[in-house]
Amino acid sequence: MAYTPQYYPGNTSVGANRRKHMSGNLEKLRDIPEADVVAIMGHRAPGADYPSTHPPLKEMGEPDCPIRQLVEPTPGAAAGDRVRYSQFTDSMYFAPSIPYWRSYWAAINCRGADPGTLSGRQIIEARERDIEAYTKKLMDSEMTDVSRCSMRGCTVHGHSLRLEENGMMFDMLARTEMGADGNVYYVKNQVGIPLDKKINVGKPMSEEELKKRTTIFRYDNISFGGKVGARKFDEALEALHHMWELRTKWGFRPE
Amino acid sequence: MAKLHTKKLFVRALTKKFGKDFDLSSQKTEYKRLGPEQSARKREFMEYAKKLEGKRGISFYNPYLHCGGVPLGQRQLVPYKLSSTEYIVEGDDLHFVNNPAMQQMWDDIRRTVIVGLDMAHEVLEKRLGKEVTPETINNYLEILNHAMPGAAVVQEHMVETHPGLVEDCNVRVFTGDDDLADEIDPQYLIDINKLFPTDQAEQLKAAIGKTTWQAIHIPTIVVRSCDGGTTSRWSAMQLSMTFIDAYNMCAGEAAVADLAYAAKHAAVLQMSDMLPARRARGPNNPGGLSFGFMADMVQTSRVKPWDPTAVSLNVVAAGTMLYDQIWLGSYMSGGVGFTQYATAAYTNDVLDDFSYYGVDYGMEKYGGFAKAPANLEVVKDLATEVTLYGIEQYESFPTLLEDHFGGSQRASVLAAASGITCAIMTGNSQAGLAGWYLSMLLHKEAWGRLGFFGYDLQDQCGPTNVFSYQSDEGNPLELRGANYPNYAMNVGHQGEYAGISSAAHAGRGDAFACNPLVKVAFANPALVFDWTDIRLCFGKGGAREFRAAGERSLVMPAV
Repeated sequence: MAYTPQYYPGNTSVGANRRKHMSGNLEKLRDIPEADVVAIMGHRAPGADYPSTHPPLKEMGEPDCPIRQLVEPTPGAAAGDRVRYSQFTDSMYFAPSIPYWRSYWAAINCRGADPGTLSGRQIIEARERDIEAYTKKLMDSEMTDVSRCSMRGCTVHGHSLRLEENGMMFDMLARTEMGADGNVYYVKNQVGIPLDKKINVGKPMSEEELKKRTTIFRYDNISFGGKVGARKFDEALEALHHMWELRTKWGFRPE
Repeated sequence: MAKLHTKKLFVRALTKKFGKDFDLSSQKTEYKRLGPEQSARKREFMEYAKKLEGKRGISFYNPYLHCGGVPLGQRQLVPYKLSSTEYIVEGDDLHFVNNPAMQQMWDDIRRTVIVGLDMAHEVLEKRLGKEVTPETINNYLEILNHAMPGAAVVQEHMVETHPGLVEDCNVRVFTGDDDLADEIDPQYLIDINKLFPTDQAEQLKAAIGKTTWQAIHIPTIVVRSCDGGTTSRWSAMQLSMTFIDAYNMCAGEAAVADLAYAAKHAAVLQMSDMLPARRARGPNNPGGLSFGFMADMVQTSRVKPWDPTAVSLNVVAAGTMLYDQIWLGSYMSGGVGFTQYATAAYTNDVLDDFSYYGVDYGMEKYGGFAKAPANLEVVKDLATEVTLYGIEQYESFPTLLEDHFGGSQRASVLAAASGITCAIMTGNSQAGLAGWYLSMLLHKEAWGRLGFFGYDLQDQCGPTNVFSYQSDEGNPLELRGANYPNYAMNVGHQGEYAGISSAAHAGRGDAFACNPLVKVAFANPALVFDWTDIRLCFGKGGAREFRAAGERSLVMPAV
């Protein structure tokens, strides 16, 4: 019988969405052109050659190494690409993804990726053509909503702030804007440098859709532990209690 | 029941910050992007920089350089209310460079050493056959309060310090021996019986016994020019000279070396330990300050013994300012960002609200401070309830979430409230620490985010060191400190750990958390910083109402 990873506990939509993000079995909601993704990332001009930090591996005469024989290099590593990044900020107001789940997605599903998790942003670093492919996957998928997530390399402030009146997450550098046609446009790249042209990334999800797709527990949607005076623990919370207790007891080693 | 537990103390602060008719629960707002001009303090900075530009001959402060021309203030720049006080100040006023009270708090620590008198008296009596009586001690203390600020006692043609520059320097003694205390001139005595509630005084005197100690506070200006490592050297020199004068000794006789050795090593208690060579800091620097000592320096426990939550919150305030803003933020890292981590723990009554909620909940459930059994089931109950309560408040009040805009701020506050609650209710600081780590894990699991990278390390492996027996990772919390493995690099933790240390003892009604000598030394009424109310004193500093020591204006031309 083939093993099916279980990833995460719980029967709520949050539990189910967390499992989906971890598994990589994501719904594709939009198709943003590769050149637009590259422009927003801001590392190289769309269509330009990839800068490299070393010759292609095939030309390098690699040493006889069992690990190298076992692990096939990613396209970026094989070509000698430099390591670049994309970093996203997700609003706490029902953005589909959350930093730890972006990291779990990357760690489980993206070869040669180095995820880093903070509270207001989540970064993935990889060889340039690899990170471009991973970033496109993220931006096209249900892990992204264009009003509550945005690519922010710096000055990420906004994940915990109230939303703009039009439902957009606050961005000090105003990298994205809501167009009169209801679509969201990137007008600056991820580090705030103005783009040559506005990039249309499509329409935001409705509030109902966001609440259906989100992975954050909130008492006003899918609750983690109920409310004051009416506690009801999600299965994820109970599993966590168990882990905390075991970790604590493991450290108590009188022998 | 729910009413009792939902005081929402922070609402008043939020109303003051955002305006009284403001809808605190709305998830949307208009961002006016008014820039730095919206803040009185930023305007003052800009005006002052402009004034100084010609004088400096080089460019200076210009907030429009921020982010290539996008200045601070794209969101509302809101002020901060010092928790449990009426002080409302700008965020800038809470950076320690702009706040003389914060500087003085740290100065008061690093300029302090505690030196035993008994060893010196034994040398005088047994080795030299001198008589030591209350009269000779009073005479010695009069000479010492002349000498310690930087005055000569036995030499000719010596330079001395200007009394106007060193007025904050003083030495007082304390003892657990009521008969001896009665004989000491009151101006030289830290009177345990008067300064502490009766039960605490009895505990302290029993712990100190018939020993006698000097609380020595050298001039602030000395440690600002040198560092904390200077304090024991400065004091030891003046102590030795004073003994020579007071007891008519030969300046070069070998017994003086014994007195100096006692003052420098054998009978001295530094406020903090020396750090390993890679940190390159001597004793009396913040990195070696244990959480227990920090807890004992704060004096709220003797003026509000009935309110262990207030005691803990004041220790948190002192600890976060020193460990986060000064130690990690400046000694170890540099920059200005660390202030934001610390202020979350002592402003806007947020940690107060979460902690009082937890203690109310615990009191109802377990019947009194330190009455709950110290076991994992109790910790699980208390820390879970407090963390979920706090998360619910952040979700219910988007302005509160915005106020603690960084995950590290929220993580520290939620975990500190959980730890304080567990420690007060069980009377056990390790139980408090266990509650801290459970809160961190719950927070991360609920929201899928925690703090910055470092939180991942310290807080996710943290539960394993709570009850560990391994010597380098298993200390009681009171004996851990800023340089404890795993704690050495992480902002937003150390001050809170000090608060949890104090919470356990405040819950039990203990007079001190770790060391009775430290507790009594910092009861000295002549200290410049007000150690009974840390937040109030920070507020005074921010409002420019606090006069610090160590001023040089007396010997400089007026500005």
